[in-house]
Amino acid sequence: MGSPLRIVNGRVYDPANGVNGAVQDVCVRDGKIVADVPPDAKRIDAAGMVVMPGGIDIHCHIAGPKVNLARKVQPETHQDDVQLRTRLTRSGTGGTVPSTFATGYRYATLGYTTAMEAAVTPLGARHTLEEFHDTPVLDKGFFVLVGNNLLLYRLLQEGRREELRHALAWWLKVTKAYAPKLVNPGGDEMWKGQRNANITSLDDKIGSFDLTPRRVIAAFIEAGNELGLPHPVHIHCNNLGHSGNVETTLETMRLAEGRRAHIAHIQFHSYGAAAGKSQSNPTSRARDIIEYINTHPNISADVGAVMFGPATIMTGDAPLAYMLRRFGGNKWVNADTENESGCGIVPFRYQDRVYTNALQWAIGLELLLLSEDPWRMVFSTDHPNGGSFMSYPRLIRLLMDRGYRKEQMAHVNQKALDRSALRDCQEREYSLSEIAIITRAGPARLLGLTDKGHLGVGADADVTIYEEDEDKEKMFSAPRYVIKDGELIIEDHELRADHQGRLLHVAPDYDPQIEQVIEPFFEDFYTIRFANYPVDDRYVPNGQIIPTTPSVAAAPATAGTRT
Amino acid sequence: MTLTLTLRTAPTVPLEADVLSPDRLSGVSALEAAKLTVVHGNQRADLGEFFQVGGAADGELHLTGDLAQVKQIGTGMARGRIVVHGSVGMHLGAGMTGGEIVVEGDAGDWVGPEMSGGRIVVKGNAGHMLGSARRGSQIGVRGGEIVVFGNAGNEVGNGMRRGLIAIGGDAGDFAGVNMLAGTIVVLGRLAWRAGAGMRRGSIISMHPAELLPTFSYACDYAPEFLRVCLRHVRGLGLTIADSHVNGRYQRWCGDGIELNRGEVLILDSAGTASRS
Amino acid sequence: MGENLKVVRDATCTFCGCVCDDMHLTVDLDQKRIMKAENACILGKAWFREHGIEERPLALIGGRTATTEEAVEAAAQILAQARFPLIYGLSDTTCEAQRVAVAIADMIGGTVDTTTSVCHGPSGIAFEGVGESTASLGEIKNRADLVVFWGGNPAEAHPRLFSRYAVTPKGMFIPNGRKDRTVVLVDVRRTPSTPAADIFIQVKPRSDFEVLWALRALVKGRKVDPSIERRTGVSLAVLEDLVARMKSCRFGVFLFGMGLTMNRGRHFNSGALLALATDLNEFTHWVAKPVRGHGNVTGADNVVSWQTGFPFGVNFSRGYPRFNPGEFTSVDLLTRREADAALIIASDPADNFPKAAIEHLRRIPVITLDPKATPTTQLAQVAFTTATYGINVSGTVYRMDDVPITLRPAFESPYPSDEQVLTAIRDRVRALLGGNRLPAGAPVAAAS
Repeated sequence: MGSPLRIVNGRVYDPANGVNGAVQDVCVRDGKIVADVPPDAKRIDAAGMVVMPGGIDIHCHIAGPKVNLARKVQPETHQDDVQLRTRLTRSGTGGTVPSTFATGYRYATLGYTTAMEAAVTPLGARHTLEEFHDTPVLDKGFFVLVGNNLLLYRLLQEGRREELRHALAWWLKVTKAYAPKLVNPGGDEMWKGQRNANITSLDDKIGSFDLTPRRVIAAFIEAGNELGLPHPVHIHCNNLGHSGNVETTLETMRLAEGRRAHIAHIQFHSYGAAAGKSQSNPTSRARDIIEYINTHPNISADVGAVMFGPATIMTGDAPLAYMLRRFGGNKWVNADTENESGCGIVPFRYQDRVYTNALQWAIGLELLLLSEDPWRMVFSTDHPNGGSFMSYPRLIRLLMDRGYRKEQMAHVNQKALDRSALRDCQEREYSLSEIAIITRAGPARLLGLTDKGHLGVGADADVTIYEEDEDKEKMFSAPRYVIKDGELIIEDHELRADHQGRLLHVAPDYDPQIEQVIEPFFEDFYTIRFANYPVDDRYVPNGQIIPTTPSVAAAPATAGTRT
Repeated sequence: MTLTLTLRTAPTVPLEADVLSPDRLSGVSALEAAKLTVVHGNQRADLGEFFQVGGAADGELHLTGDLAQVKQIGTGMARGRIVVHGSVGMHLGAGMTGGEIVVEGDAGDWVGPEMSGGRIVVKGNAGHMLGSARRGSQIGVRGGEIVVFGNAGNEVGNGMRRGLIAIGGDAGDFAGVNMLAGTIVVLGRLAWRAGAGMRRGSIISMHPAELLPTFSYACDYAPEFLRVCLRHVRGLGLTIADSHVNGRYQRWCGDGIELNRGEVLILDSAGTASRS
Repeated sequence: MGENLKVVRDATCTFCGCVCDDMHLTVDLDQKRIMKAENACILGKAWFREHGIEERPLALIGGRTATTEEAVEAAAQILAQARFPLIYGLSDTTCEAQRVAVAIADMIGGTVDTTTSVCHGPSGIAFEGVGESTASLGEIKNRADLVVFWGGNPAEAHPRLFSRYAVTPKGMFIPNGRKDRTVVLVDVRRTPSTPAADIFIQVKPRSDFEVLWALRALVKGRKVDPSIERRTGVSLAVLEDLVARMKSCRFGVFLFGMGLTMNRGRHFNSGALLALATDLNEFTHWVAKPVRGHGNVTGADNVVSWQTGFPFGVNFSRGYPRFNPGEFTSVDLLTRREADAALIIASDPADNFPKAAIEHLRRIPVITLDPKATPTTQLAQVAFTTATYGINVSGTVYRMDDVPITLRPAFESPYPSDEQVLTAIRDRVRALLGGNRLPAGAPVAAAS
């Protein structure tokens, strides 16, 4: 946990506690923020520096089966971007899908201390946890894919809503997941079962099931809210990437009917359709989306911004990846998981001269610049889908520095800018406090992580100290110090220690009777035994259960204990 | 003056000597050169531990000895000349952009991977992956020339996009596989599956070759570009008969699975090509 | 049979890549023997029967009995001093052990390679070129109505691929099991698997690539000359019929074996098949799956990939991972006499490598971890006896379709696990080197 530590003279940005650039001490002891430490405690002089909570990535793809496939399929991107071993730390390789060790260290060198892997098949949970074991520094959790689950579809089809909720809780608990994730609900069944078809509207029939995406989404939002999860159902809407998908996105948000829901990488879901002959070209409908979110406090979103350069499309939305395969330079990966999910991977590159890419870049910025509540429109690139997490500093500069933004806008496809409203939000510049919200305090609040995203007494001692710089990209690229759980990981911009972060997961209660419903389904349709499916505690050497606050279940949830 | 390096102590495990490039040795004395770092297995070593160094660097580098265990000579080289009196290990002239490398003996696998300019001449045989793309990469040689007097292994010019590869002897399987453009001349025999997946580009053979079912016979002709090309190859030292220069060639188009805009040209007197 | 019996339900068989997890084992705890393995195939039954506890020394150094601690010290000394050490095998041990093996390779600046390089390595290389459409085995069970086996003999090598996963089982959308599927077998000869197929296509040896290339052309609507039959032994009509079936099925799958990957053409053969599966997705749903041999070779691929970015044949000499099959693959670097020490885990290269590679193994200090005496343990300078994964040791293995499964051991072994021995070696090497060995070189300046 490191020795007691006092950070002095830094300008502190702790928006959750109303601290906005005040020079004040931050004290750390036993892995927590404390009110005071003895006078002989080690000091960090942060004069001329900015002190923030450690960064939190609410939506990224960093570990598990699909990530490993994406690594394997791009050796050529690893060879030119290597991570050397040091006496203490492991070597690795980068590219847009770095090896596990490189992922942990590189996030840390950007000042990030927590990250949520956003799409894991239940069958791949064990694999994901094994990769997490080898992903240093970060605290991690994952969202488990439930929106194309055939047993849950059967229960829903038969109107067994109670059992659906218990089964959802079972799935969250036995996989050690953090939140339920829906990806293109219904799409995988169309893809796998209907000759590579897809869902095109919320009212399509899902293959041979008497179900529609509308019913599926509504049911999961309801069940997630009833379970009182720290983070609500995390939704990757239907029609990602398609022109005119804004209607689907708005309709999906309406389905929440005031209940909590989180919309993932909403940039990719904010497209109108151009009029006339270029109908297939998307336009920006960011304004409609942001207006809805500004006026509906039950909805939150992460932006899914795009940055030009290399990326990897990596998604549970298999039909989408197939649509994009011609951009993959001959490479396309598809991976179906029985009863649970699909998956697609395509190497990709966003180019500033390409209309659609420039529009996507513009919409990401637009959404953030138009947002009135930074607490509910938080930062992400859906790494590595919209670009690597290594591009965060540049995106932050684009938000904070309108001169730079204007300069960059001059380089991109101008027709795309014509179809966006980015030129109308030229004035706004994000403040350091707002950056602290969209990269730390906001994600922590949306995830229900009360010990994170702030520097109040009792918070996890995850602290990042940046040297102030006019060039915000430079500033956010290389913090001077990073403290994780009270331990100095980065000092003078360099890795000084290795560290094993925690697994954050939920363990909602469920009626044990539900196993009588689930087990026969396994006997018939799975190729792994029911008894061998739950992930045991050996895969979580350093776990932390985040409590749930159920509104309907009889038994109270387990308290937030570390295991 | 030339910088001369003579192998004195053979490395016990592979030696990576990417420092052996005229650009990187420019203006370096023999004494300084001997102190340059090479990688011997997993440890650093001085160049002088293995080589007797003499002369001074003026853009030309002469290496003598059996350097089959020495990899990455001429990596990223942009100008100057390397002459090797002996054989060399893998990755000769990797990613080179200019200059010339002449090897009197044999070269290992991966000669000139993803090079974009300059020339590599191997007087002996070359290994597999001559002028090839790295694994996972779609684009191989982007320019420059590779000449092998002897035989070359499999996957000559994998993913090649521009430039010339000329082989005096035989080429292994999958010559010109996934070629995007450029020219491969094989004076000896083409082994199996030449041009598989090629989009554009030319593969020239002086002997009958069995082609894939996705290649189709188009015509017989004596293309002018080929005469120019072959005279150029003759100038590089390979033995080109007048009958090669002036001969007629069967033109086979392929690969039908891809754009079908590549060609395999087979010298007519060589007898008929056949489909596989 | 002794009195002290125990039943272990839902244990996993790690004999082959099917990794069936429905074994009900009856264990005689006194005899330390598995008496019965319900649900096991003939290969699995033999695997469980043969893995009792043999009386072997815990370790041998230079052929003389030693303690595990002494052997750890000897092994660590060898590895800490080596300049180009090779760590090889790993496909018959747990991911937990594999993880430590890669850590040792990184720490000392060695090369780590797995048996993938001598089985489906070509499929790995092909994957890097074209990707892959694939599926977990349950999708095949639930949906596949056209199953094409290519270059394999599952009846003898993977019996339950037929009975549990791909041919006879009933699935959600295959209610009648075998009756709802068309099974095609492509091979160079008739085998005991042939009778299981509805259609058997016999190709001439070393012409798989031409057949696959012709199929790709036909799928894309291109013409193929009837002379294809002369080269491949398969008539155009047969190919056209197969293409029609492949385009019209609902869910098609290729399950391909080493008959494809290890004959002339290697990774291009695998690549052609993967590309054909991709092409077919224009028409209907198609997937392809290499049929893997060793129980946890898929785990090895995964562990090495997530730790390094590359699946096998990874070298750490310069302080970071590099991948290059042919350069950093075991057979190649041993044949070129490059390695100066080797750590062999759960594998027997002295039995199955080419002669020149084995000869080099005799020249250098070799360390082995194996439950049994093998030709490789016999040439080793340091030989550890370890417990058998899945029988005595728990841990994680990955089925051939990347599905991870936790092992349920049947009985305890007096020998340490691979993971325990490797961890001890790692810790001792770390002490000897004072941490990880500092990188020997910066990244190579240009592409290589």
